[in-house]
Amino acid sequence: MQAARTAYPLKWRIMDALEGVAAAIWPARFRRATPYLMLLPAVLLVGLLVLGLIQIADASLRTLDTTTFQFSDDYSIANFRRALTEPLFLVVARRSLIAALIVTAVTLIFAFPYAYLMVRTASPGLRKFLLIALFLPFFIGQVVRAYGWLIILGNQGMVNEALGLVGVAPMRLIYNYPAVLFGLVQYMLPFAVLMLAPALTAIPEELEAAAGSLGANWVRTFIHVVLPLARPGFIGAGVVVLTLSLTDFAVPAILGGGSQDFVAIAIYDQFFRTSDQGLGATLALMLVALGSILVGIVFALFGAGTLAMGRSRA
Amino acid sequence: MKRFRPTLSQLSRRTFLQATAALGGASALGLRGAHAQEPEKPAEIIVRAWGGSWVDSLKAGVSDGFTKMTGIAVRHDLTEDNEIQPKVWAAVAQNRVPPIHINWDTTTNATKSALRGVTEDLSDLPNLAHVTDLAKPAGLEGFPIVNTYGYVYVLAYRPAAFPDGPPKSWKDLLDPKFKGRLAFYNDGIGFHFPAQVAGGGKLEDIPSNMQPAWDFITKMKAQQPLLGEDPDFTTWFQNGEIDAACTISTNAREARKNGVEIEWVVPEEGAKFDTDGLWIPKGLPENELYWAKQYINHALTKEAQQVWLDGLGLPGVVPGLTPPKDLVDDPSYPTTEEDFQHLIRISSKVQVENESEWFSKFKAIMQG
Repeated sequence: MQAARTAYPLKWRIMDALEGVAAAIWPARFRRATPYLMLLPAVLLVGLLVLGLIQIADASLRTLDTTTFQFSDDYSIANFRRALTEPLFLVVARRSLIAALIVTAVTLIFAFPYAYLMVRTASPGLRKFLLIALFLPFFIGQVVRAYGWLIILGNQGMVNEALGLVGVAPMRLIYNYPAVLFGLVQYMLPFAVLMLAPALTAIPEELEAAAGSLGANWVRTFIHVVLPLARPGFIGAGVVVLTLSLTDFAVPAILGGGSQDFVAIAIYDQFFRTSDQGLGATLALMLVALGSILVGIVFALFGAGTLAMGRSRA
Repeated sequence: MKRFRPTLSQLSRRTFLQATAALGGASALGLRGAHAQEPEKPAEIIVRAWGGSWVDSLKAGVSDGFTKMTGIAVRHDLTEDNEIQPKVWAAVAQNRVPPIHINWDTTTNATKSALRGVTEDLSDLPNLAHVTDLAKPAGLEGFPIVNTYGYVYVLAYRPAAFPDGPPKSWKDLLDPKFKGRLAFYNDGIGFHFPAQVAGGGKLEDIPSNMQPAWDFITKMKAQQPLLGEDPDFTTWFQNGEIDAACTISTNAREARKNGVEIEWVVPEEGAKFDTDGLWIPKGLPENELYWAKQYINHALTKEAQQVWLDGLGLPGVVPGLTPPKDLVDDPSYPTTEEDFQHLIRISSKVQVENESEWFSKFKAIMQG
């Protein structure tokens, strides 16, 4: 009897061929190493970053000769000495660090109710609205958003025009530190909500109901049930917001009016304005180190939160 | 009789350029047969330029004429001058073809590239025979850069904010009513030298003792000025954010063209005068180098300079240019010896060697 044409369809043949190719490239005896093979893309990516860091480290130890604009062949720690002693870099580093801490705290405070409402609301319409409002800023981009604030908050912007209608003279709402913090919080909010939402989703609603049935009011339930269980989300969101704020360039550059530089701007200046790539590399390394230390402290104190994918001690 | 026709690689660069420059001149005179001897034309040449009215002026004055003359398209690369520099330096260091044919650059920035040895020598451009001393980069051997015009960092102001008449001194900006209403470049460029005079110092003390400048800038910091780049000044004037700024006159003129009421002066302490120029990075194929040089040579013709610099409102390096009507007898358009007496000019070499320290000092004051 002739076999039906569909008994061994073309798709299966293709799959067999692909499996044959895969077996030739990666024989069965290598199977135990397969999980490590999965790591290869990540290793390649991190490896490239490490290579870049090694190059940056090399550049950081070379000083610029301003008579030839060539870098020294010898290594020295002169750039590190400058970075640690010149007032400009200390001011900028302190400003960046304080801003990162403030922005992280404020963003988490704003992000939590947003994420909680988005996760717990019974209204599909409201959930959709909150999701759209959350993702919309991602499509706009940081620079455009910062310029948007210039239009809204500028001397001739919408806010000042509205104030003018009630007789208030135009006031400077941008080009200062609070404006930079405001812009960063607005930029970071979606990141924080996205990191918090999975942690809140993982808290069974029944726990809150049980706390209520045992006599806890909303505040006690929030403090003793929701907040502790949401800690992994707070840690994940906090780490992401902290590191992104610490290294931000566009918001302080656009909303700071030139007088609220962060470390990233100081790095840019050294690379592109004074052509001193050695000092720029030094500042870049120090920023990486500062960010890594901060994240390390958070992980040491609180665990990795949602970033540990459920394996943290939180 | 067969004539020996060397390949491009067999020609020494100078011999080649002398020959082709002569042929170029011949072709400009209408000797069409000369075109047969020109090196192969690239489809396009890439000129790095500043955007907005800057590139519009270059296109109208130089690029369009060059394309019409040679048939070679000109692409303007609007990468910032500071950002193209490391790319060009890296390309030359790695023996790669650089990403641009011509860099339109500040003379200070270009001097860095010249000191690093990444610029082609332009001494053999035929039109250099007809330019003023301004075209020659001070303190450098030969012509690694050709300065193409000068500009002044003027004190630009909104007349409405100065009801008693134009500001006479940079010190006038210390009036408390201007708190938060002033603007400077974010690295202080253009303001260091007049600040030295306004602070009671001497220009001869630059760079050894600039404490008077830093003291004056510290006083100015209390005014909480905005700090930005060229486009910011025009925007800030247009949006009513500032009343006065130390900026290149071109930016102020651009704001005025856009309907903003704005004037400018050279205060009694003086104003910084500087130049921009064109240069060619090393590493181009010989034929492209030739046509890049032809571009710069064309930029030094009176016709090209007149249109280009009418757009920018800046004085060129070719004698006999006519100032734009709105800039006749304007201090930002110096043409006579007397005009230059009110302007401060410090050699590019001194600026380049000390710029990093000055920028840091200015920023340390303003960021503190």
